[in-house]
Amino acid sequence: MSNLINFKIDGISVEAKKGETILTVARKNDIYIPTMCYISKTTPCASCRMCVVEAAGIEGFVLSCNTPPTQGIEITTNTKELEKERTNIMKLYDVNHPLECGVCDKSGECDLQNKTLEFDVERQDFSARDQAREIKDWGLINYDPSLCILCEKCVHVCNEVIGDDAIDVQFGGYSSTIIPKNSDVLDCTFCGECIAVCPVGALVSSNFKYSANAWELSRIPATCAHCSAGCSLEYETRHSAINGDDSIYRVKNNFEYTSLCGAGRFGFDFDNKEPKDEVAFHKAIEAVKVAKAIRFSSMITNEEAHILQLLKEKLDIKLFNEDARKFQEFMRAYSSVSGKLHHSGSLDAIKQSDAAIIIGSRIATDNPAVRYALTTAAKHNGAKIVYAHPMEDTLMQNTVTQLMKYEVGTEEGVLALLANAILAEADADLSDEEKEVFDDLDLGYLYAESNIGDEEIDFMMKSFTRAKKRVLIIGNDLIAHKRSENIAKLAAMIEKYSSFSLVVVPSDINTLGASLICDLDKDEDIIDVVGYNAKGNFIISSLAYANLAVPSLNQQEGTFVNIDNKVLPTNVAVGFDGYTLNDVASACGVESENTVDYTNKLNKKAGFKDIDFDSLENFLSPHGDDNRGYLLDEVTCKADGKLDEIDDLPEFNGTIIYHSNPVLQFNAYTNKTAQLERDNTLRGSAQFASAAKIADGDRVEVSFAHKTITREFKLDNELKGTVALNPTFDDVVDASRYRFEKSKIVRVV
Amino acid sequence: MKNEQFNNRDISNEYFKVDIEDYPTDPWGKFTRVVKRTFRGELFVGLWVVMREMIKFDTHTISYPMEKMPIGPRYRAVHEMKRLWESDTERCIGCGLCEKICISNCIRMDTKIDEHSRKEVSEYTINLGRCIFCGYCAEVCPELAITHGGEYENASEQREHFIDYAGMLTPLDKMKAGTQKEFEGFGAITPHEDERVKKTPLAY
Repeated sequence: MSNLINFKIDGISVEAKKGETILTVARKNDIYIPTMCYISKTTPCASCRMCVVEAAGIEGFVLSCNTPPTQGIEITTNTKELEKERTNIMKLYDVNHPLECGVCDKSGECDLQNKTLEFDVERQDFSARDQAREIKDWGLINYDPSLCILCEKCVHVCNEVIGDDAIDVQFGGYSSTIIPKNSDVLDCTFCGECIAVCPVGALVSSNFKYSANAWELSRIPATCAHCSAGCSLEYETRHSAINGDDSIYRVKNNFEYTSLCGAGRFGFDFDNKEPKDEVAFHKAIEAVKVAKAIRFSSMITNEEAHILQLLKEKLDIKLFNEDARKFQEFMRAYSSVSGKLHHSGSLDAIKQSDAAIIIGSRIATDNPAVRYALTTAAKHNGAKIVYAHPMEDTLMQNTVTQLMKYEVGTEEGVLALLANAILAEADADLSDEEKEVFDDLDLGYLYAESNIGDEEIDFMMKSFTRAKKRVLIIGNDLIAHKRSENIAKLAAMIEKYSSFSLVVVPSDINTLGASLICDLDKDEDIIDVVGYNAKGNFIISSLAYANLAVPSLNQQEGTFVNIDNKVLPTNVAVGFDGYTLNDVASACGVESENTVDYTNKLNKKAGFKDIDFDSLENFLSPHGDDNRGYLLDEVTCKADGKLDEIDDLPEFNGTIIYHSNPVLQFNAYTNKTAQLERDNTLRGSAQFASAAKIADGDRVEVSFAHKTITREFKLDNELKGTVALNPTFDDVVDASRYRFEKSKIVRVV
Repeated sequence: MKNEQFNNRDISNEYFKVDIEDYPTDPWGKFTRVVKRTFRGELFVGLWVVMREMIKFDTHTISYPMEKMPIGPRYRAVHEMKRLWESDTERCIGCGLCEKICISNCIRMDTKIDEHSRKEVSEYTINLGRCIFCGYCAEVCPELAITHGGEYENASEQREHFIDYAGMLTPLDKMKAGTQKEFEGFGAITPHEDERVKKTPLAY
């Protein structure tokens, strides 16, 4: 029996797959059904009742948004009665809606305005006593209840896609409003997705409010440069004030299909405003010519990474980037077992999965897009999400179905236990050598040292039994781990021999791209190092304290490789009047007119295609098909790696800190932005405070690995256990280190 | 409405034919006309008229700039920003429609949220060097805030110097005195203009 359901909409024969509703099928076939509350990425809210249709032989109206079609049914989307019903709904929406369209921030991008005009509502038959409703200031977000039409899109997105579950509808007939859930003020991660989906001007960005009209802003399709997800976004720019240069006013996304975190949405003003400095340019050329090495960060485009690689070959120097090098080594070890260059999973795979293991990452702050994908999977597919990490994360508690807490440093053992269970279930056809490694596993030792119970693994395997689409997500703790090579091989084994697909989460926007393009050397503490957005004797950077100022990532065109192994183009949002790396390289003998001339010359051996920058698209189709950039070609390589025996698991005793950023902060660029909160305190639980003998508000000296930093300590009641969180976004710590660190904490008096 | 006034096509009581001699066609006739015109002394006729009017002191000339003609309300000169009669605050709500509709792209404004969380215009300029005085900005304004005034004397080193927001706003003392001139609408005519209207010779 075929899975397709054949039926008719307005006399047109259409086909529906299992799980599709009448509305989705209609949209796919370009048949128009009006909606107010429907949003593709959530389950239907069914609050507007605008999408009513008639079905032959069925009394009354049917809601097309949440009704699946039955075989042979005939649907009519447009009759006089339906028109009347919809017009009445529109009239009800318009009751007491303030006529302040002239100053409303929607400035015409308003669903209510569009539909009111569409249904030609020129007379109001309904009335209600108007109420005084106060505008609420929720920090980055403002809520005006009198503009709200209670479509509930915001609530559904917050709950089903983001996972904050921070807002709720307070039901009360005409006086219903949106309220912060279980709290007086909004306590959430401030992703701002509620602002994006709001069809009217009820939820707005408090920073943007009343500063510009939609029609004045030019949209620049780009890729978010803050984390490795590389989310699609549009920078909206306008002249600042009346005579100023262009600046970014806000960021928008295609909220129907994609999501953005708060850093992407509110952290857009990280452009470099330094003026042109010719003297510095000549100094930079000299510095590069005499340099022994270039150290760079992963906040770089593929093209610039390529330029650095060419400089390396031309000038015979070394390239340092610890973050990308560790990722490169991890992936090399992975390839040596899996036989291919790129991991198999993607954010889409996570969204569609029904079982996922996330290990070694505080993912909600490391890569919010992965968190949103996990939330989507959990809420829409009922996916089982196993969160393996030494620390709990309250942000994930709405999503995670099983918490697997292991001891700090025992990641290799944990992955070995997981691999052991998963491969046993998959009845994998292992080679003799591999079998030997697993047969030799001292399970008792691993269970004891990692502090994971065998019942936890059993429970996980049991909950996964019916799952078909499984994903293993590997975070930075495993990549930066001492035993990362063997961990990578274990992950590759899981991917190779079971139904799991694998997603390795790179830490920065182009960690993956840099690791594919550059031959990286192990970082050495030598002099004559030119830093490109990194430390060095001569610093070429888009951040403060640069010897030569260069444009930031929102002032450059180029491409990134994101977590999906997609090459994504980004464009210039605001101009930069100065020199770029390409100018410096051109003066040093690696000549090219534009940086993007290298787009089609990127490393073919790593799967890059011979496509010009200008032929790369950057948009989503109206049906949500992703037309951004291209997917890297799959590259097969030699699978000659051998799994090592599991090493003795290290012990971490005493005070331990974990390098982890607070919500919405990722790196020095998010640190630069005006709207994002900069909480650079050391955050720890009450248990940690008493163990380290410090109290809330104390200034403390944290010493680890030959380094001492001073921070304020903040008691965080949401944290548990004996590990404190130390942020890295303010650039005092090298973020590529293994993130757990034995440390000494002393109170500064 | 009756059509009588349009049906009367007799224009004879107001217009009359002037007595003009036929033009000469032969050379002799042309010659005599030249001689006549040359020696008739018509020049002194004109000079006499000037002399006569000078003595009568009945001058029709307006001694600009001491004296100025009243300007019609439809006249589109330099823009003005009106205030609300009730509160003396500015009418402009910062909707930006004037900026949007301006076909010569000469209006620019910047808005922000003020302390009462209302939209406030923080900067507003019209580049009069580019303005073509089409009147669209005044026409689109939903609050009757921007209008064209009667100020047609734009002498400056640069026309751009002319307009800033504060300069366009009705001065507060004028507001207090209640002498802000309201824009009368796009069909408005000059005061007492009907008295000066003459019947056109064409009925339609």
